[in-house]
This record gives sequence, C-alpha cells and structure tokens, in this order.
Amino acid sequence: MSMSAGELSAILPLLIPALGACLLPLAALDKDQETVKWVRGAMFFMALFCLAGGFFYVTRLWATGAQPSYGALHMDRIGQYAGIFVMVAAALAVLQLWDHLHQEGWVKGETLSLLLFSVVGMILFASAGNLILLFLGLELLSVPLYALTATVRLRARAFEGGMKYFLTGAVAASCFLMGSVLLYGVTSSLDLAVIGRALGAPRPDPLALAGAALVLMGFLFKISAVPFHQWTPDVYEAAPHPISGFMSVATKGVAVLAFMRVLGAGVPAPGSLRIQSALAVVAMATLILGNLAALAQTNIKRMLAYSSISHAGYILLGLVAGTPAAYSGVLFYLLAYLAMNMGAFGILTALGLVGDRTTFDQVKGLGWKRPDLAIAVTLCMLSLAGIPPLAGFYGKYMIFKELILQGHVSMAVVGVLASLVSVYYYLRLPVALFLEKPSEKAEREAAERPAIKAPLAGAALLVCGVLVVAMGLFPGTVYKVFALRVVENAFHFVR
Amino acid sequence: MITPWMNAHLLTFLVFAPFIWGVLLMLFPERQAPLVKLLAILGATGILAIAAVQLLRAQPDVLGRVAVERFHWFSAVGIPVEYHLSVDGLNIWLVILTVFLVPLTMLGTWHSLSHKAGTALALFLMLESGMLGALVAQDLLLFYLFWEAMLLPMYFLIGVWGGSERRYAATKFMLFTLSGSLLWLVALLYMAGKAGSFSPAVMAQAAAALPGSAQNLLFLAFAVAFAIKVPLFPLHTWLPDAHTEAPTAGSVILAGVLLKLGSYGFLRFAIPIFPDAALHFAKPMAALSVIAIVYGALVAMMQTDIKKLVAYSSVSHMGFVMLGIASMTLIGTQGAMLQMLNHGISTGALFLLVGMIYDRAHTRRIADFGGVATKMPVFTAFFLIVTLSSIGLPLTNGFAGEFLILNGTYLSGFGWGRAMACVATLGVLLSAAYMLWMVKRVFWGPANPDPESGTAHLHADLNLREIAVMLPLVALIFWMGIHPSTFLAHSEAHVARALVQAQAPAPRGAAVLPEVK
Repeated sequence: MSMSAGELSAILPLLIPALGACLLPLAALDKDQETVKWVRGAMFFMALFCLAGGFFYVTRLWATGAQPSYGALHMDRIGQYAGIFVMVAAALAVLQLWDHLHQEGWVKGETLSLLLFSVVGMILFASAGNLILLFLGLELLSVPLYALTATVRLRARAFEGGMKYFLTGAVAASCFLMGSVLLYGVTSSLDLAVIGRALGAPRPDPLALAGAALVLMGFLFKISAVPFHQWTPDVYEAAPHPISGFMSVATKGVAVLAFMRVLGAGVPAPGSLRIQSALAVVAMATLILGNLAALAQTNIKRMLAYSSISHAGYILLGLVAGTPAAYSGVLFYLLAYLAMNMGAFGILTALGLVGDRTTFDQVKGLGWKRPDLAIAVTLCMLSLAGIPPLAGFYGKYMIFKELILQGHVSMAVVGVLASLVSVYYYLRLPVALFLEKPSEKAEREAAERPAIKAPLAGAALLVCGVLVVAMGLFPGTVYKVFALRVVENAFHFVR
Repeated sequence: MITPWMNAHLLTFLVFAPFIWGVLLMLFPERQAPLVKLLAILGATGILAIAAVQLLRAQPDVLGRVAVERFHWFSAVGIPVEYHLSVDGLNIWLVILTVFLVPLTMLGTWHSLSHKAGTALALFLMLESGMLGALVAQDLLLFYLFWEAMLLPMYFLIGVWGGSERRYAATKFMLFTLSGSLLWLVALLYMAGKAGSFSPAVMAQAAAALPGSAQNLLFLAFAVAFAIKVPLFPLHTWLPDAHTEAPTAGSVILAGVLLKLGSYGFLRFAIPIFPDAALHFAKPMAALSVIAIVYGALVAMMQTDIKKLVAYSSVSHMGFVMLGIASMTLIGTQGAMLQMLNHGISTGALFLLVGMIYDRAHTRRIADFGGVATKMPVFTAFFLIVTLSSIGLPLTNGFAGEFLILNGTYLSGFGWGRAMACVATLGVLLSAAYMLWMVKRVFWGPANPDPESGTAHLHADLNLREIAVMLPLVALIFWMGIHPSTFLAHSEAHVARALVQAQAPAPRGAAVLPEVK
C-alpha cells in the first residue's frame, strides 16, 4: 500500500504525538525514573518535544493553507485548528504536570504517554469525516483521560473520580454509538455529509432524529452541558490540577469543533431547526445552573468546574445563533478560553496547593507573596468573567452580537445576566489572594512547609496571562488569522 | 521631527502614559515607598502639564475638536471597531479636571496609604488611564472598554485600602455598575448590528429609522447604565457605601471624575443617539433628578459621619447636573457642564479635607468633634470656603452652576419646567442647612472636652504640603465662580448643536446665556 505525500501530511499531526506516546512507556520502564531527576526530565522533554513538533507541523500546514485528507480523515482547517488548540493546551499541561507531580511526590512517565494518546484522540475526533472515525476519536481521547483522572493513586479521591468518569463516560459513549447505529441504519452511510443531508430533508425519518439526538447527547456530555454535567465537578476535583485544566479546555474544545463539523455538514433546514431549539434549551439551562452552582463553591477547583460548565453555555449560545459569524466567534472564544482556563487551573499548581488543599481559605493573602502569579491569574479570572479589554470579553461580544442579530435578544440578556453573576465568583479568587488576610493557622502551616517552587507551572501561568492580554489588545489579528479562516475554508455554507 | 508626531498621538499618550507609568512603579520594592510616591506625583504632574498646555493651546477645528486620533482598530463578526479618540468642547474640561485632580489627590493623601503604597498609586494611575480613555473615546465599543476597565482599579482601591466594610462596598460597587453596563452592552450590540458601526453618528441615523418603542427601550438601556454611575435616585445606593469605605484618594476620584462619566455619557451618547426618546423621557428624568436633589439633601442632614454626609451631598449635587441635562435648554445643559466641574472641585476638596482630619483624629463622627476651629484655624478656613462653594454662595463656583441649571429648567419649553425648578431650589436651601449645621457642630463652639474625642487628637494644623494641595482648589473655586465663561465657552457650540439636533422645545422668553462668546 502506498501513500501519497498529501495523505501522509494529513495523518502526520496524529503520528507525531502518537510516536511520543509509544516511546514514553519504554523510557518509563527504567526504574531510575523515581530516583534520577534527569530521567524524569528527559521524559518530560520528550513529551514537550513531540508536542512542539506536532505544533510546528500543523502551523506550517496552516500557513500554507493546505487541507489534506486521508480517506475520511480531513486534516482541514477544523482539524488543524484542533491540532494547534490541543497541542498548546497539552504543552501547558505538561509544564504544569512537572511541578504538580513533584509536589504530589509521584512522578510517572506513563502519565505523559496517556496524555499524548489523548491528544491524538482529540485531533482525530475533530478531523473525522465519518461516524466510525468519530467514535474512534471519542474513545481514544476518553479512555486515557479516565486513567489520567486517577493518576495520583495516593489520593483517596483519585480512584473514585476516575471510576465516576469512566462509568458516566461509558454510558455517554454507548449513547453516541447507538445514535450512530441508528443514523447508519436509516441513511446506510457513515459519511457525515450524507447524514447531514438526510437530516436536513423536509421530513426527516424519526429514527434518524432519534439517532441524531443520541449523538448529540454524546457531544453534550463531552462539552459538559446541563443536564449531562454532573460528572464534571467531581472529576475535576479528583484529577491532578493540570489534567483538570487540560480536560476542561481541550475536551470541551474538540467536542465543540467536532460538533461544529457535524452541524456544518448539514444545511440549515427543519431537522436542524429542531436541533437548534434543543440546543437553545440546553444552553440556557447550562448557563443558569453552571453560574448559580459556582456561586456556592468553597473549593477553587469545584468553582472552576462549574465555571467551565457555564462556559459551555456561552459556546452553545454561539452554536444556537448558527451563522458563520457566530461560528467564527465561537472559534475565537475557544482560543480565549484556552488561555484563561489553563491559567485559572495553573494557579493551583503554581502556588503548590497539593491534593485537597484547593479551597479559597488556602490562598488567602498569597497574592502579596507572589504578585506576578496572582496578577496573571487575576487577569485570567477577569477574562473568564468577560471584563474588557481582556480576551474573554471579545469572545462573548462576538457571540452575543450574532445572537442579538439573529433575533434572540432574550437569550443574550440571560447570557449577560449570567456573566454578571459570574463576576461575583470569579472575583472571589482575587479577593482571597489580595483582599483577605491568611488565618494564623494557615500562616503557621505555611511556615513549616518547605517553600513552594514551581517555576514551570509559574511560567505557564504567566504565558496564559500574557496571552489573555495580548488577545484583548489585538482581537482582530487573532480573529482573522485563526477563527475566520476556519469558517471561510472549512465550512461550505459560507457565501 | 518629534513634535508633529507627538501632536498626532497626543491622546494616545495621555491615555496610556499613566498606565505604563503605573506598571513601572509596581516594579519598585515596598521599602522604596517615598520614592514611588514622588515618582507617581511627578508623572501625574507631567501629564497634567502636557494635557493642559497642548489641549488649551491647540486651535479647534470646525467641529470644535482640539485633538483627534482615528484609525481602524479591528473588525470582527462584520462590524468595524475604530480607535477613535478626540477632545472637543464637551470633554476638554473634564479631561483637564481629571489630570488635575490626580496629582493633587496623590499629594494630599501622601501619608494616608499606610501599606503597599506603591501598588495603590499604580492602580491610581491605571484608573486615570481608564477615565481619560472613557472621556476621549468616540467609538462606542472603545468607550465601553474603557468604561469597564475603570472599574477594576477602583474595585481594588476600595477593596484593599478601604475601611472595615471594604469588601462589601467594593463588591457592591462592582456589581451595581456592571449590572447596568452589561444590559447596556446588549442594547449597544443591537444598535451596532442595526447600524453596522459603533460610531455614534451612524448609530443615530440607524436609531432614527427604528420604531419609537424600540428607541425608548434602547434609550432606557443606555440611560440606566449611565444613571447608575451618576448616580441618579433610586440607583444611588452603592455610592454612600463606596465613598465611606474607599480610601480618601479613591473617594476624591470617585466623586471628582467617575460620577461625571455617567452624566457625560448622557450628553455624549444617550441623548444624541436617541433624541426622540430623550425628549420622551425628559420629564421622568427631571423628576428623578429633583427627587435626588431633595432626598440626597435630607438624608445628608441625618448623617452622623462627615464622609457619609459628603457622599449624600454628592447625590444631591449630581441631581442638579441631571436636572440641567433633562431641561434640554442651552442654559440648563451648560449649567450641568459647569456643575460637573464644580462638583469635581468642591466635593473632591471636601473629601480631601475630611481625609486630612481623619488622618489626625482617626474618626469621622460629627459628635466626636467640636471646637475644631480653635485648634486648626487654617484647616477651618479652607473647610469653610469649600463648604460655601458646595452650598452655592455667589462668587463661588457652586452658585454659577446651580443658578444656570435652575434658570434653564425654569425657562425650559417643557410644561413641567417651572414646578421642577421651584422644588429643586429647595435643594439649595437644604444644602445650606446640612452643610452649615455640620460645620457648626464640628468647628464652632467650645472644644470637645472628652479626652478620647477627635478634637483632642488634633495636634497640628495643616502643613505646607496640605496647604499646597488646597490652594489651587480654592483658586479654582473663585475663578469658576467669578468668571465661569472660561469653562463654558468651549462647550457652548457643541451643546447648542446637540440641542438643535434633538429638536428640544424652545425655551420661554429670550434666553441668552450672559457673557458667553
């Protein structure tokens, strides 16, 4: 079997991280990884090297504008966007993992291998043009994440969280599979474009609609939209901090991208209108529940989990608006979300909050000790709250604008009210960092512990802070270079 | 070579220089606080000098603009956003007021910031950037960005350096302001979608094509956001909390500039974009303003805390500003312009004075004082002058502003003008009552005999630094009172044009503004 250069370049973004994922366990066989620092360093370097290689390869494809495919695997603008998105998130996660795992006292190279496999699955998921590949991607991204959630086995919660994630994830995956079976049965095709056309017909087959609904459930589970969100807080709380951040960003991101590909394949018609109204209901519920539940949290990680649920709501609002401009807004939003959410989770590692010590009480007054980190995370938080002139504001701006233009003013009002509520809980972290004084007990404990050193996690956090500001100052450039090109080149409905 | 380039980018420099200066100051270590304070004041003074010289010297163009900067910033989802800054008759004095108050406040509160002074001053400079940006922005999205960006430094100034209830006050301030501005954002995006632009002029054309009810709704969304900032009764409840808890410097800037942005928003954006709706809502706006004037004064009378009293007097004074705007007459609106500056000077000075006495006595309760005049004669003299200006004594700035506003309201073409003006005049009386009563209890009479009282802790009168802070303010109080046309001449043409465009009802009689050329 021979392979053309184009076909090879379509799968190289998948092969590069996959190669690293396969090699890493070999290095991890060495028992020395627990005692010798440079062995561990080499493994982390290898993971970063593979991610960097993949990143540069995909950005080159992006720059040239080539959109190769290999069978049903389309490394088009959506796939490339997903590649860039996931690999940046993974690289930030790897940097944080180095510090986090050392803080937890449990460093294993296999973690990195799992992470890279998950990266491969994510890119596959977003570039799949038929149902089989889509399901393959879904499983390849999910299964390593189940294991990653339970990585730090020393923690009691870890296993519980991993199991919870696995069970709920398995149900969602089987729903997805059942839906695919129904769609295949009705349309006798696995191709997303063909299925999209069948769903877009004036009177779509009810079985096909049921199948579409089941597939939709699978996506909504990964996006963690209400009512498929219950796993999110528990799993994020159980997982190592960088993995929580990676899951909240990358999984949600690729699920949205893959979903956009599925939606974009169909022509807007009665069938998709029905999906649109279902999405609108889900988006509203997600916004309201996610934001209100986040208000009540005392644990930073659980707060961030509910915040990531609420952000699923904003993203879904963009899909409800459904115009090309709204899609490009969602794509911008995802980039902003990548920077700000990786930063938000990054502070946990950068301040060395090990295990369950991630409550607001634990960070009181720390802002004055590490002003650089605290300012960076404050910027990320404000950006999450949508306060201009930071990246998150422009994402919301683009989505709300399209929503209003499409006549959904009341939904936009709910959206802005939800962001008003969110300001309160996002400010709680800066408040704890800067405005509150640490309790005496906490100060005594902090004095007894060795000083926290987390240079890589700190650097990752600072990068996120800089990105949030830069995207706020030059939203037009980011929008034009990334978001707009996907919509112009990959979706066929743009006129 | 440098000068033309500087002139072309003067506004960008003015807006961003304080911010950059603030960021640089943050890099200094804590123990260098005196140096940081000095550098902050020098920087702010430099900006004042550049702004005053360049803006007042420049020749205005046809539209009355003395400085413009305009280029395309970015387009996303189909609507171009312009980086459009300009200083014209409407905002020139507000800009100068801002850059004037900042260094003065820093100097006046030299010893007040006990800890992390460098960070506080840096935030202060960032706040200055935000305020200047909001004042000069001519593109609505740009205005919105600065408008929101202003909140954060103020939030932290109140939250970190404030009084005992600082977190409550800071959060209330933040959420109140955001709740208005987020709904306004929806209206703004709606209008931008209709107009395809964020330029107020284009939006006004698009708004004129909308049905009346839609215009009214959109105007309300704009007006509520601005009214919260002013703050107009009944949206004022955040103000007393924020003022009482904020550090002195924060209070001065909050009263001096931040509140003005609300009334400025009406004049610059809400009324020009929706003139019909503004006419439609002129009566309720005037009614709320009058309620604010009287209610604010009555509540101020009942206060036991000097700072809270001044805070409520702000509600009353800003009610005058809104009444002048609602009158839709040249005289009334010009009076509102002047009253905005007056309030910035007088109330800013009052907050500074309250801060000075608080630093000495560590109390602000009126009952803790008495006989201060015997202990601090210089302070008393300054306080009395500022008090009289706040009451609106002729020859001080307060008189000129309030007189024009009441005159304009009385003469306005609206049927309700005379009644409103009569009731509002009551506010002038009441302001004399609460201010003078407070002065009597704090300054006159025998010294408070209690050894724990505030008076007992007053050992030193104002020092040279504090006198240096007060003198320019007092000079301005008289200048504005005796020769207000210095400050009115710039805005007259602008306001007159806006009123003609709004088709405001002609005032009764031959109402001509005296002395304004």
